Amino acid sequence: MVAEGIPELVYYLGFVLVNTLALVLILILLVSPRDRKPTPEKRAPFESGQIAVGRGRTRFIIQYYPYLLMFVVYDVVAMFLFAWALNLRALGAAGTVPVFIFVTVLLVPLGYALHLANRPENW
Amino acid sequence: MTDPAFVVIAAATVIGAIMAVEARDLVYGAASLGISFLGVAALFILLDATYVAVFQIAVYIGAVVVLILFTVMLVGPVKGEAPMELKRTSLFAAVLVSMFLGIGGSLANANAFPGADMCGASCDLQKLSQTLLVNYGTQLEVLSFVLVAAVIGALTLAKAEKD
Amino acid sequence: MVDLPPDPISMTIAIMTSPLFLKIAIFPGLTSIGIIAAVLTWLDRKITARVQLRIGPQYVSPLGGILQSFADLIKLAFKELIIPEKADRFFFVLAPVFGLVLGAGLIGLIPFSPESLISNVEVGLPVFLAFVTLSPTLVLLAGWSANSKYPFIGGLRSLFQQTGYEIPLWLSSLGVVMMAGTFNLTKIIQAQSTGWFIIPQLLGAIIFLVTSVAEQERIPFDLPEAEPEIIMGWQAEYPGFLFLAAQGAGFVKLYAFSALFTTIYLGGYLGPGPLPPLFWSLFKTTIMVVLVILLRGAFGRVRLDQLLRYGWTLLLGLAIVNIGITYFLIVGFPTI
Repeated sequence: MVAEGIPELVYYLGFVLVNTLALVLILILLVSPRDRKPTPEKRAPFESGQIAVGRGRTRFIIQYYPYLLMFVVYDVVAMFLFAWALNLRALGAAGTVPVFIFVTVLLVPLGYALHLANRPENW
Repeated sequence: MTDPAFVVIAAATVIGAIMAVEARDLVYGAASLGISFLGVAALFILLDATYVAVFQIAVYIGAVVVLILFTVMLVGPVKGEAPMELKRTSLFAAVLVSMFLGIGGSLANANAFPGADMCGASCDLQKLSQTLLVNYGTQLEVLSFVLVAAVIGALTLAKAEKD
Repeated sequence: MVDLPPDPISMTIAIMTSPLFLKIAIFPGLTSIGIIAAVLTWLDRKITARVQLRIGPQYVSPLGGILQSFADLIKLAFKELIIPEKADRFFFVLAPVFGLVLGAGLIGLIPFSPESLISNVEVGLPVFLAFVTLSPTLVLLAGWSANSKYPFIGGLRSLFQQTGYEIPLWLSSLGVVMMAGTFNLTKIIQAQSTGWFIIPQLLGAIIFLVTSVAEQERIPFDLPEAEPEIIMGWQAEYPGFLFLAAQGAGFVKLYAFSALFTTIYLGGYLGPGPLPPLFWSLFKTTIMVVLVILLRGAFGRVRLDQLLRYGWTLLLGLAIVNIGITYFLIVGFPTI
């Protein structure tokens, strides 16, 4: 069904799927009973029987921060690689050389980040 | 006169952006920013730039918002305040800016780019790829250096200082 | 698309009987997604049980307890929604519900047969992967919003795991795009009529399989929900229906990823002879689902630092190698 307009298909899909599913979920949520008798024990954070002490949002695994940064950058790289991959057979060398240089250049910060990543003393 | 879909999406984008700036609880702000980006992606779709829209979602909402959220969660909440607070001056400023943008936008639209190559519904992805890689190859390389600089800079800044 | 009659009632009827609506509502849309997710929950429990020399669900119906998951669905829908005291209500409720919506959106892109396709988007493959990329945000918000130690740690672990394996996922599917020259999933299937892509793309397919299992937080990558350590991870505080949504979203993703794997590597609905294309796509998807479920019984859990190290070095490197191999295959044998 390659219809007359791709944008129309895309928003039709989005609109109907999301709305119909949301309708079903709202109906089920309406059925779920609410918390009629909240007691402090019921609403306390669950720790398998222990009484929770301290902040809820505790330890941060900050030493893995470079991985997150790498993810952002390489998501962008993936975007350009996808543009390249699409037209591979038609592009030939003129299109491949820029991409090759692009990827090689961007392997440098990857190496640096991985070098830093597993050392807790850096953070 | 204007497409109702555009009006709704544009409103969502702008409101999301305003909430992103105004929210007290930064996590709400980051989430509103995500909604604003979703609005931008929808606008790209309206402009028949589906490839850009898809990667807008993947990169901005999928990666940038996540990074912002992670950083914001590090900082911790502003205690004892409501997540959202709209002051009257900021509301006024928002309305004023929207009016200017609206007027400017319709002026630009009226004389928009006559004779430009408008991409129809069958927008050619092959042509996009060709243009990007061959015609703008040098710019792509410069972009890679910008990305490298950004990464190394961010890593260096985030590193703890050796005392 | 359809010539809509002027008055509301016959317009509603016209919309509801139009093929697109039936596809969205029934198959491969929402109703079938719900039923398949429920069946997959049962299948997961049953296969895992058999691997572990147990029986698994057996009481709820004569056929090996297959209605167990429907019984669980009804039970969970009626459970009380207890939201922890200091939790952020908005995101707490929204995150799993959105996860479910996202999973359903993924199914809408897969061509189960030339007619059973909800949306033939020209940029089909990147749209699927982009929706997948949205899931770490939701899990992070879910873990944060519960304001409790174990869900928060689980949410962070999930964030690092999913973002770490996202890039090898993108890059391994890049090989398929290189070979097919298009993003459109239907055209990718048709490009496999001379040979399924799994053969030249074997390395890519393996990487795709491994990374998609990591994306779904299934064993061996179930660190974010490691039961003996952090209870249920980011799902720990979720009551009743929200728990159902969180679990259901996981099984919908299992279905979606297996269906995508069959589409891009196993030739989708292509198959010989008198059997209809729909049978073939569902058959191959079922094989992939069973394969992924069997992994649960076979492997231990991967530790977070091992996971990230291998994801970012080994898998990313292999994905790039795969791109290189595919490039030389295409340049060397232009007829593929």
